[in-house]
Amino acid sequence: MIARELAFAVWVSLKTSGLAALIASAVAVPAALFLSSREFRGKRLILVINQTWMAAPTVVIGLLFYSLLSRSGPLGGLGLLYTQTAMTIGQIVLILPLIVGFSYTALRQVDRRARPTALTLGATRRQAGWIVLREARFPLLVAVLAGFARAISEVGIAMMLGGNIRGATRNITTSIALETSKGEFRNGVILGVLLLAITLGINVLVQTGLRGRDGAS
Amino acid sequence: MGEVVYRLEGLRYAYPRTTASFALEIEGLEIRAGDVLSLVGPNGAGKTTLLALLALLLRPDRGRLEFLGRDPWASDEDTVRSRREAVIVTHHPYLFRGTIADNVAFGLKLRRAAEAKIRTRVGEALSLVGLGGEGKKSVAGLSAGQAQRVAIARTLALRPRALLFDEPTANLDAELGLRMESVLRGAGREWGAAVVFSTHDFSQASRLSDTIVYLSEGRHVEFSHENCFSGTASSDGRTSWIEPKPGLRIVFPGEVRGPVTCVIEPASIRLEALRDGRAAETPGPNAFRGRVCRMEMTGGAMALVRTAGDIVFRAALPLRELEAAGISLSTEVLLTFEPRSVRVLGERPAGPPEPS
Repeated sequence: MIARELAFAVWVSLKTSGLAALIASAVAVPAALFLSSREFRGKRLILVINQTWMAAPTVVIGLLFYSLLSRSGPLGGLGLLYTQTAMTIGQIVLILPLIVGFSYTALRQVDRRARPTALTLGATRRQAGWIVLREARFPLLVAVLAGFARAISEVGIAMMLGGNIRGATRNITTSIALETSKGEFRNGVILGVLLLAITLGINVLVQTGLRGRDGAS
Repeated sequence: MGEVVYRLEGLRYAYPRTTASFALEIEGLEIRAGDVLSLVGPNGAGKTTLLALLALLLRPDRGRLEFLGRDPWASDEDTVRSRREAVIVTHHPYLFRGTIADNVAFGLKLRRAAEAKIRTRVGEALSLVGLGGEGKKSVAGLSAGQAQRVAIARTLALRPRALLFDEPTANLDAELGLRMESVLRGAGREWGAAVVFSTHDFSQASRLSDTIVYLSEGRHVEFSHENCFSGTASSDGRTSWIEPKPGLRIVFPGEVRGPVTCVIEPASIRLEALRDGRAAETPGPNAFRGRVCRMEMTGGAMALVRTAGDIVFRAALPLRELEAAGISLSTEVLLTFEPRSVRVLGERPAGPPEPS
């Protein structure tokens, strides 16, 4: 496997999984904030469904979107199958419940006095929501990073919706699968270690950056 | 007289989704600028609920709550604007991550105050609570008392029109407690803010406030001051007692230790004339000899009985009963009441004290 191909696979992995984590977080964190701050009929059901969805196998999500995006499927006209966009969409659906679940737990652990304190000191409801999010920033970051790690390490969706096309949709995990099927175990192991190193590096960078900004607390 | 800050009419609030039957009902209450009003009552009487309603953190189910002549719930903007003028410090205040100064500046930053104003106000507020020069310290690891002072400073820095405190000196030692009392009084008398605070300490309420609102089971009730006694409760495990004066032991059921205030309803006190200095029956707990020092005939008859130690009890009895018992001014009497008719405020279950 030549270096340029390898670099491209790394780029595809980072781009699709990074985008998936960002987009999923933009939906999941506000949803978790809503769920954690309100009591309403059906909330428990939503949480149970979310928990079940967290355990959905990647190939099942891949299969579902394959049937939707394939030429004969209802969204076939969009021409998204075997593109990085399709991979990102699949990964969003995969990690959304994970980030909702982790964020919900993180926000439930924020002291219940934080919101009324912000309100009495003059915060609007939106500002109070932001303040609660800020109080839970470390566990929320863990939720987002867990989502990213799940997306970058999955192979089923990338294979089924991306198609493992060299120079287009081949990423690290589909490269590992390919190298293994070719009997190139050494290459597979090297790619696996690279994947772990990337995930570790991102975790360390983000956590260090945030702790530095948090200063004294 | 100052401007009316709060006007409450036919107010009712019950917590949603609870099985408890508690509901706060206030027929009418007016609080003006410069007023210092205390809320006194046993645990669960509705003091904290009323403070949360005044802080506009809870919305009444029924009735009217006007703040500065307006309905604070008319729109979201009205609510935020009003909340910015009615700030509460809770019993166990929450401090945001960061430094003491970050916390004290919090509300000012939300109001987009100028940096210079924030610095000045933070410095002044911290000095008032005795934390001057400690702004750069992290709030992590502060004791309950220090946290309460930071929270009080955070509120004082905002100079709101209404300052609301839930047991503001509960976590402070005696010296700091007195300092906070002077800050509270100053906020009312000097700044012209309406100050409302809850307390279990009846003497603190009498000392600090212009008006005492006594709450019981969610309602504003009238109570005379004469039958309120404070002291440190002791217990033998079955019954407890305080001795407001040596030789005068007020006994009540249960195991209670620590500072409490006891209230005896005037209607639960019985009087018996002592003939030839002898009681008709053997005195048990809560039986005191005394002499009727005053009779009042407003509404039902009230006999004020002065006992040993110069303590005055107020007993409410129908006039016919007093006459039948031969009780009139200067009669020597035996005054009794059941231990169970003693209401204990500020009750603390027996056990190790909370760390402060």
